[in-house]
Amino acid sequence: MTTITTENPVPGTREGLESGVLEAAANKRRKRTYLALLIPGILGLLVSFVFPLLYMVRMSFNEGAPDGVVIDTFTFQTYIKPLTDPYYWRVTLDTFRMGLTVGVLCLVVSYPIALFLVRSTSKYKGLLLAIAIAPLLTSAVVRTYGWMVILGTNGLVNTSLESMGLIGSPLKLTNNMTGVTIGLVEIFMPYAILAMISGFGRLSPQLEEAAGSLGASKFKVFMRVTLPLSLPGVFTAFLLVFVMAISTFITPRLLGGGSVQVLATEIYDQTTGLLNWPFAAALSVILLVLFGTIIAIYQRIVQKIGG
Amino acid sequence: MTESKLSIVDLTKKYAAGLAPAVDRLNMEVEEGHLVALLGPSGCGKTTTLRMVAGLMDPTAGSIMVDGREITQEPVNKRGMGMVFQSYALFPHMNVEQNVAFGLQMRQVPKAEQKARVAEALDMVQLGHLGKRATKALSGGQQQRIALARALVVEPTLLLLDEPLSNLDAKLRDTMRTEIRSIQQRTRATTLFVTHDQDEALDMADRIAVMNGGLIEQFGSPIDVYERPRTHFVANFIGQANFLTITVGEDVGPASAAGERNYKIEVPGLGHFGAVGASGLTGRSLPVLIRPHRLRASLQPSASVQELKGTVEQVSYTGDTLSIAVRVGDEVLQSQLHTTSGSLPHTGDTAFLSWDPEHAYILPEHAKAVAA
Repeated sequence: MTTITTENPVPGTREGLESGVLEAAANKRRKRTYLALLIPGILGLLVSFVFPLLYMVRMSFNEGAPDGVVIDTFTFQTYIKPLTDPYYWRVTLDTFRMGLTVGVLCLVVSYPIALFLVRSTSKYKGLLLAIAIAPLLTSAVVRTYGWMVILGTNGLVNTSLESMGLIGSPLKLTNNMTGVTIGLVEIFMPYAILAMISGFGRLSPQLEEAAGSLGASKFKVFMRVTLPLSLPGVFTAFLLVFVMAISTFITPRLLGGGSVQVLATEIYDQTTGLLNWPFAAALSVILLVLFGTIIAIYQRIVQKIGG
Repeated sequence: MTESKLSIVDLTKKYAAGLAPAVDRLNMEVEEGHLVALLGPSGCGKTTTLRMVAGLMDPTAGSIMVDGREITQEPVNKRGMGMVFQSYALFPHMNVEQNVAFGLQMRQVPKAEQKARVAEALDMVQLGHLGKRATKALSGGQQQRIALARALVVEPTLLLLDEPLSNLDAKLRDTMRTEIRSIQQRTRATTLFVTHDQDEALDMADRIAVMNGGLIEQFGSPIDVYERPRTHFVANFIGQANFLTITVGEDVGPASAAGERNYKIEVPGLGHFGAVGASGLTGRSLPVLIRPHRLRASLQPSASVQELKGTVEQVSYTGDTLSIAVRVGDEVLQSQLHTTSGSLPHTGDTAFLSWDPEHAYILPEHAKAVAA
């Protein structure tokens, strides 16, 4: 609480009424408090994000020599290779395609669950929600290994299909993009569900009833009312999953078994395998700029649509 | 009797086995063009009934017929009714025109006709100038009107209103009451109207169905349910009521209302008075209803009229009227006086209560235990 000292104009006196001195003083104090409260956060961001980011950008203009030696210089050499070599174009494109596929599939499988959870009036609603996001309690590494067991040549899926006589030889579900996609979709589902639930605020059973009473069939109600009103959640969820998918490393690495190359795995190889830090830094900057732009465009479009 | 627009036969809704039904074998006939109020306290089953008629809820048993055609099994979107929800339920992602046009689009009405009918409907609710507005930019009263226009533009077989006025402030509620009533009369839309507000029901409805515990206690015109309530509950729910348990005495001839008789009645221990009631009540012990504004209170005893003598316990002044509570023996009776009357009573005064026999109505049955 603030107290009024005798030096300050007293409410009701001429000065106090005329210029709103009291409000101005209070505003100033409030502003200072806000700034003070921001300091820890800003410091944390500076140390853990802004400084490393600037350091990485600077690093990308250095030159990498064999055996991890970094030659301090200023060159665009590191950028020329990824921008001209078709291999890196393909990796970038694969990364983009993976983000898109995982995002879309994740939405498709998560949407009904999120919708169900939002609408449920069951007394177990809380429990159901907890179950839906429970996979977050285990790490992505563990879940990726789980998928390797399930999708492998002698895994659950292949042996079941074979014993039912549906396939002659095992499907190739690991060590390729299919496996990575399946794994990522499952791993990101809890995030997608949470993001959608938080964006489904405008949905209401009464609006659907109103549409029904005006003659809309169940399908029309969904297309004209439920879906449009749930778009904000859908857009948020897609963005979240897309961003996580293009930057994820563990699942493409483990389920991809070395044959799936995306920007994240490429950066990892450059840093830990080839010890070419400037080149890894350049790839990181490309990832950042390219996908930052894509996301900015996406946000623009979403706002236009009115999500 | 004319052919009913809506017939409800033995309509029953049980939410769960073991629970008392929310609606219990309800029967009702609604005439074409009538506005019928479903009136009752919360939990009486009025909204459940409306939702079953709309097709938003499946009945457990019974049937609903519109124009003589059974529609109980028809899905909501095939019923062709117009519904106005308590919270209006306007689509937030559509503007006013798009909201109103929705039902026409679903019926695949040609574009040009859609446009004309939407404009006409918006003019009817006097909001023709707001067509391009977003619905969230509208006030409560405007949203209410849009909801009404959206329901009426499709020329519904029935117009269903679920407490449409309860979210409006008092002043606006009065205006909308008049407006809904006049629009309903102009369009001659047969209307079911759910409300818990007795004034609303009395003011707007052609017929009132007073509901309690999943049953209709009485179905009749506003004057019927107010003047000639069938049960204690109805008398009490519609307007204020004084009850005295009396013994019905001698039948002293026909009363002014058809079929009714004048009786002498005895208020045990307090004297003999007059009242009206159905024929054949002599000898029974029954409650008599006297509305507070028809119970005269004066500070001087009258020489010519039989009176109840009591003490004023409470006085409440509301400007136009003065309400007093008078203790007579074990009973406390409410009386309402116009503040124009000469000397106003004060707490502690002795008051003399009297009434005209035609203003005391003997209820045909005893208060029964109120169903859960």
